Amino acid sequence: MRLTINGDEHELVLQGHETLLAVLRDRLQLTGTKLGCARGECGACTVLLDGRPAYSCLTLAAGCAEQSITTVEGLASGEALHPLQRAFIEQDALQCGYCTPGQLMAAAALLAHDTDPSIDDVHRAMSGNLCRCGTYPKIVRAVQAAAAVMRQEANASA
Amino acid sequence: MPPRKRFVTTKVEVEGREEIHVVELPDVEPTPWAEDAALQIVGQRVLRADALEKVTGRARYTADLHRPAMLYAAFLRAPVASGHVTRLDPAAALATFGVRGVLLAADVVGIVHDGAPLFDSNIHYAGQPLAAICADTPELARYASTLIALGIDETPHAVTTAAALAPNAPKVRPKGNTPRHMPRVIQRGDADAGLREADVTIIREYRTPCALHTAMEPHGAAAEFIGDDLTVWESTQGIFMVRGDVARAFHLPLNRVRVMKDYMGGGFGAKNNAGAHTYTAVALAKKLGRPVRCIVDREGEQMDTGNRPATEQRVTIGAKRDGTLTAITLEATVGMGFYGWQAGPGKIYHELYRCPSVRTSETFVYLNTGAMSSFRAPGHVEGAFGLECAMDALARELGMDPLELRRRNYADHDQEKSRRYSAKHLDRCYDEGAKRFEWARRRDEAAASRAAGGRLRRGVGMASQIWGAGGGPPAYATVRVNPDGTIDVLTGSQDLGTGSRTIFAQIAAESLGARLADVRTVLGDTERTPYTGNSWGSITTASVGPAVRVAALQAHEKLLEAAAELMEVDVGRLSASQSVVRVADDERTMTFAQIGEQLGEVMIMGQGSRGANPPDTAIAAFAAQFAEVEVDLETGRVRVLRITSAHDSGRIINPTLAESQLEGGIIMGLGYALFEERILDERLGLHLNPNSHDYKIPTIGDVPEIDGFFVDSSDVVANHTGARGVAEAPIIPTAPAIANAVADALQVEVREIPLTPWRVLRAVHR
Repeated sequence: MRLTINGDEHELVLQGHETLLAVLRDRLQLTGTKLGCARGECGACTVLLDGRPAYSCLTLAAGCAEQSITTVEGLASGEALHPLQRAFIEQDALQCGYCTPGQLMAAAALLAHDTDPSIDDVHRAMSGNLCRCGTYPKIVRAVQAAAAVMRQEANASA
Repeated sequence: MPPRKRFVTTKVEVEGREEIHVVELPDVEPTPWAEDAALQIVGQRVLRADALEKVTGRARYTADLHRPAMLYAAFLRAPVASGHVTRLDPAAALATFGVRGVLLAADVVGIVHDGAPLFDSNIHYAGQPLAAICADTPELARYASTLIALGIDETPHAVTTAAALAPNAPKVRPKGNTPRHMPRVIQRGDADAGLREADVTIIREYRTPCALHTAMEPHGAAAEFIGDDLTVWESTQGIFMVRGDVARAFHLPLNRVRVMKDYMGGGFGAKNNAGAHTYTAVALAKKLGRPVRCIVDREGEQMDTGNRPATEQRVTIGAKRDGTLTAITLEATVGMGFYGWQAGPGKIYHELYRCPSVRTSETFVYLNTGAMSSFRAPGHVEGAFGLECAMDALARELGMDPLELRRRNYADHDQEKSRRYSAKHLDRCYDEGAKRFEWARRRDEAAASRAAGGRLRRGVGMASQIWGAGGGPPAYATVRVNPDGTIDVLTGSQDLGTGSRTIFAQIAAESLGARLADVRTVLGDTERTPYTGNSWGSITTASVGPAVRVAALQAHEKLLEAAAELMEVDVGRLSASQSVVRVADDERTMTFAQIGEQLGEVMIMGQGSRGANPPDTAIAAFAAQFAEVEVDLETGRVRVLRITSAHDSGRIINPTLAESQLEGGIIMGLGYALFEERILDERLGLHLNPNSHDYKIPTIGDVPEIDGFFVDSSDVVANHTGARGVAEAPIIPTAPAIANAVADALQVEVREIPLTPWRVLRAVHR
């Protein structure tokens, strides 16, 4: 079976029960996507499937053959960080960093369809991503700052 | 002059316990960074040093670790709270394709964890590990663990303090259900006489829940033997403590055990020692001759890696009509679980307010539940809830502004030990916190809105805190200047997400006169770095920071001496900043890189250690916190609108990182106040919510407007960097500040947290 992950095709022999998270982390060693609960409660394993956020711990890998999978490793374009990554650094929107990849992917999914989210929009879109260090206030700021940068970039290229 | 003594004895406060250490004095005792010191890099809002690794997914945590031929382990856990294992047969599990081995009690004889032999056939609590299975994948190991045939003789259990203290209670531990010498009574003055002198006396009972750390990365370890050398990767707050635990358990010399921790996904006090997962990974690696990773699953994490124990607190406060306290008493019960240490709520009752007579009486109780462990300000979080809610009850009784009552009972020295504070600016925290929160205006507005009636009621509340955060020895650091002018700071500390990597680089760059971008901090490796203690008790900045500064100063001196030789000038004319050495009254300069290049392979290296603490001095962090809430009278839902938190932690090395910690502590405190509670079925003895869905920690949508700030001032009595600790202070006053605000909104006292809707409704309709 072929999986398209961050634009690269991977040919894998998959068993039916293997989760996308296990395949990413233990078979392809793409360990940016984190395991927090393995039951769809914490959001640390969030990836994008065709641009939509998904808990990879509850997603069977064998069901993803037709979809484009994006993980945190695929968020930057080469050396150029995604505006969200830059904003998370600049706003200090992370502490231990373990939930950060999931937060970034959930935020990327939000900004893909909402270029100017309100605080409530950010809260709604990201309430499935837990952070125990309590970086939430700065995550809100970072997501809004990244949205502003992306709007500027879109205007500049329009 | 007589030769200076190299080793002296000093006191260090860790998690409320005072320890005595013999300390090696550093070679130089630097001039303290006083309030007016002209610092360029310390105190700046520089970005977190390891943020890039964290946003790109390149930061490797223990749970991410892969080694060639690695195997994965999973636990079989006890399904009952008390009993004996009569049969444990792994045959079916071992017959499964891909299963490589099992670890049983007979394989780990002599290894003790949380007060009992590892894989003890006597079951002391539900969730206790009984065996481990090792397989090619984590999922397979977990599945195979369910194939182990298990027979159990169940025996009666006690999972509440009431059950454990009842006559004829089942014996949780052979020697009884409490530690020796219970209750633990600590007193000063004469509390009974003090209560007789009081014009007003209030008596209240408070209850706090058992709370779970819930770090995003569960506990875990990986172990690999190469010859006789063992490497352990562990998600830990204390690499050297884990090294000692592992070496003792497996009878290995310390120099054959290397413990590493690069990144970790939170600790909050639960990750201080080696655990069942560590011993399991090491024992299986030894038995099977392959690297083994053992990461605890979420259920195991919630059941069996520590907790903040539940408390019951009966508080009496006596005061004069003008609010002057005459006596405080506390009778508390704390359910420790099967094991733990006596982190009681009592200590803060002795410290926070001026009061001539205080008596606390704490009874710690063993239960058939998972053991407690340190959890961000252990004891003080629980105690602050009782004390600060009772202070508000007293203020209501006296008809006094709760802020004014606290100001009137200001403690200007440590009454428990009759000694000074190194510095104390809690008064400024009250002033500036109240001002930024607009305490008087919001208090009046909340009262006015309540008078108007309606379903949503507003209220304001406040609380304050004290927490020993002076740090101390032992802590060591090495600073190396490489031939290209880059600098390594090596210290055996840990960065839990606190930002210690960043602030050590700031301190080193400042002391060395280097560019911050050239400085890299190396932590978390017992083989590469000199000893530093655990990252606990808010001690890291004040313990390790001074050692880093001394090491950097020594490197600075050597670098200038080398430059003097190369430039043929007197060393006294040289100074360094931004990695450039300048000659006074001279145009000539040399960069660190040029010096390195000309020196060739000469290593400029500085060694630093943390000196002694000042004698007869208490060193603490202080804070005052203010909360505004809105309570829905129909649903019982509490919404926290705003929290202002004013902190005195001495000099702040990096305000951005320190504010992040304030926000984190406040949000964790909000969870404790409103949602978080381990739920046990008393009859079955089982933990009913060991997951992230039913044990609710705050989400992004629960977060109020937070204004956390510092009344920044250098504490040069505490240590020569002027810094004290931050991490635990912000969580301590949050729950009482919120509960006091809810009581203000409802005009009904609330005495039990978490303030879930049904508890609020029960208070409303009582």
